Amino acid sequence: MALLEVSDLKTQFTTRDGVVRAVDGVSFALEEGHTLAIVGESGSGKSVTALSIMRLIPDPPGKIAAGKVVLRGESVLDMSDADVRAMRGDRIAMIFQDPMTSLNPVFRVGFQIGEALRIHKGMSRKEADARAVEMLDLVGIPNAPHRAKDYPHQFSGGMRQRAMIAMALACDPDILIADEPTTALDVTIQAQILELMIELQQRKGTAIIMITHDLGVVADMADDVMVMYAGKQVEYGSADAVFYSPQHPYTWGLLDSLPRHDIDEKGTLLPIEGQPPSLIDVPPGCAFHPRCPYAQAVCRETCPELREIEPGHMAACHFAGTDSLVRGRVATAEGEVR
Amino acid sequence: MTREDKKLHDVQSGMEGPRDAGGHPTKDERVVGPILPGAGEVAARPARTLWGDAFTRLRKNKLAIIGLVWVTIVIALALSADLWVPRFFAEPTFTGFGSLEAPSAQHPFGTDRIGRDVFSRVVYGSRPSLSVGVLAVSISLALGLILGALSGYYGGVLDAFIMRTADVFFAFPYMLFTIALLAVLGPGLQNVFIAIGILGWPSIARVFRSSILSVKENEYVDAARAMGASDLRIMFRHIMPNAIAPIIVYGTMSIGGAIITEAALSYLGMGVQAPTPSWGSMLSEAKALMIPAPWLTIWPGFAILTTVLAFVLMGDGMRDALDVKMKD
Repeated sequence: MALLEVSDLKTQFTTRDGVVRAVDGVSFALEEGHTLAIVGESGSGKSVTALSIMRLIPDPPGKIAAGKVVLRGESVLDMSDADVRAMRGDRIAMIFQDPMTSLNPVFRVGFQIGEALRIHKGMSRKEADARAVEMLDLVGIPNAPHRAKDYPHQFSGGMRQRAMIAMALACDPDILIADEPTTALDVTIQAQILELMIELQQRKGTAIIMITHDLGVVADMADDVMVMYAGKQVEYGSADAVFYSPQHPYTWGLLDSLPRHDIDEKGTLLPIEGQPPSLIDVPPGCAFHPRCPYAQAVCRETCPELREIEPGHMAACHFAGTDSLVRGRVATAEGEVR
Repeated sequence: MTREDKKLHDVQSGMEGPRDAGGHPTKDERVVGPILPGAGEVAARPARTLWGDAFTRLRKNKLAIIGLVWVTIVIALALSADLWVPRFFAEPTFTGFGSLEAPSAQHPFGTDRIGRDVFSRVVYGSRPSLSVGVLAVSISLALGLILGALSGYYGGVLDAFIMRTADVFFAFPYMLFTIALLAVLGPGLQNVFIAIGILGWPSIARVFRSSILSVKENEYVDAARAMGASDLRIMFRHIMPNAIAPIIVYGTMSIGGAIITEAALSYLGMGVQAPTPSWGSMLSEAKALMIPAPWLTIWPGFAILTTVLAFVLMGDGMRDALDVKMKD
């Protein structure tokens, strides 16, 4: 049994303009110690998926309408509020995008790292402080005993994200959800934070759900990749499968819009034309068809099911795995190069 | 993905750093280098807190310091009055001097119509003023903070109910409402506390509610919730301390307002009852003698003016000091 199993998760928000299907039938499994990357454009439902797992969807206006989230055999969606609070921070921890605002400015960093320990492990102030210093040391903050007494505004961005990681890992959670943990950081710092996460994962065996739109991050870290578009999974499989034989035109689009020194020496980036659809008014058929260069009549009418293309590799495209699509892509790519 | 590919990716993103044989970054890279510019200097800098910073800024504001000093002097005089006033001057209710004496060495502020020493009455008169200021504002704060916090944190129907109630309070003319309340409760210092305190909560609640609304959107509140903190903990630990600054400013300024209201009520005879002195009632008694004995109005008036001004200056200084955006 996998550590975390999510099946057919549907999260909706009721707004004045209609119901936003932010997450619409997402299923995946996360194994102990593995890393799952959730990739997609802004508004594709990545963060809402993560918040749904933590039961952090503000209700109202949000609601988890259907689906199952099972953590070690226990249904998260059926837990009492008290059990959910006991789970948050202890079994599943989360780090956020912007380290500049995710630490409380009025408390010392060490105190904040110790807070989860005081809540979940019943530690005294002293024990928690001592453990906070250990954690700061672990995430590579020099002079940790001294720095634990500093306030967040005395930390740089990279150090704050390290402190956030220390905070999240303080209780040794089974799962760490990282919601774009490097987006707000300088490129050099990004690399260090990723290395740190990889190192800590190896040491502690924490499973990671990495939400990102940076495919470089995915390549560095992920065992499995889930690509989301308009609240739906469009492709899901091992990182190798998704990178080396991507099946969905949207995944191709994401890969083509990355600068790649090894392949495209001409330096032309191929952006995906158009805008992601409004989640209130998702196009009929395949949500991606208005932007898809290979769209056929069937794409405008029927929504493709997520199906297994090769063992363990799923894609939601009518033409995934068929020759017609691959030929089309090669032709287009050649056209661009010419 | 193979190790070579990862390396390739690293090179592309400019991530290559010193690595050991296993491909992991070496320890040195993590600790020194561009990660922590000036880590050594940081260690040498004295630890500064939010409140410490605020105090440093407050000290630079001369007007605020003048206010603070004056408030301290007035409070010290009020508290220590019993120790020295009766030894050098008469009890504030002692009527044995000749009536209406002009200021002299013996009676620095003169005496009133029935021979009471004005200086000692002004000193003792600070007691009801200050206690009304502090106690009435405490009552307003207690009510306003709780209701404002509930309103801002939970929102929805509760918010609407509390805020509409506040609107009803605002709809009445303030002074008229106070007098009406005192007419029901009866005059006297204790009821002045209650009346001013009860009528003060709506503005405190509003200020605190809006402050909470903005603080609650911060990511550290989400982070606390994701950490498993309960509603109460989030409210008191994470939101309150960040939302309290405007309340400190507003509360300080309200003390000045409450002192004025007390003086007005005592002037109208609804507050402190004779023979206990208060600045407002002294003014009330002096109003017929303003021309022949100006010292009767000048000194209590001066006391009210300077004390209220001092509180307002202090509040103003705190607003500047607590405003993080004004960081030097």
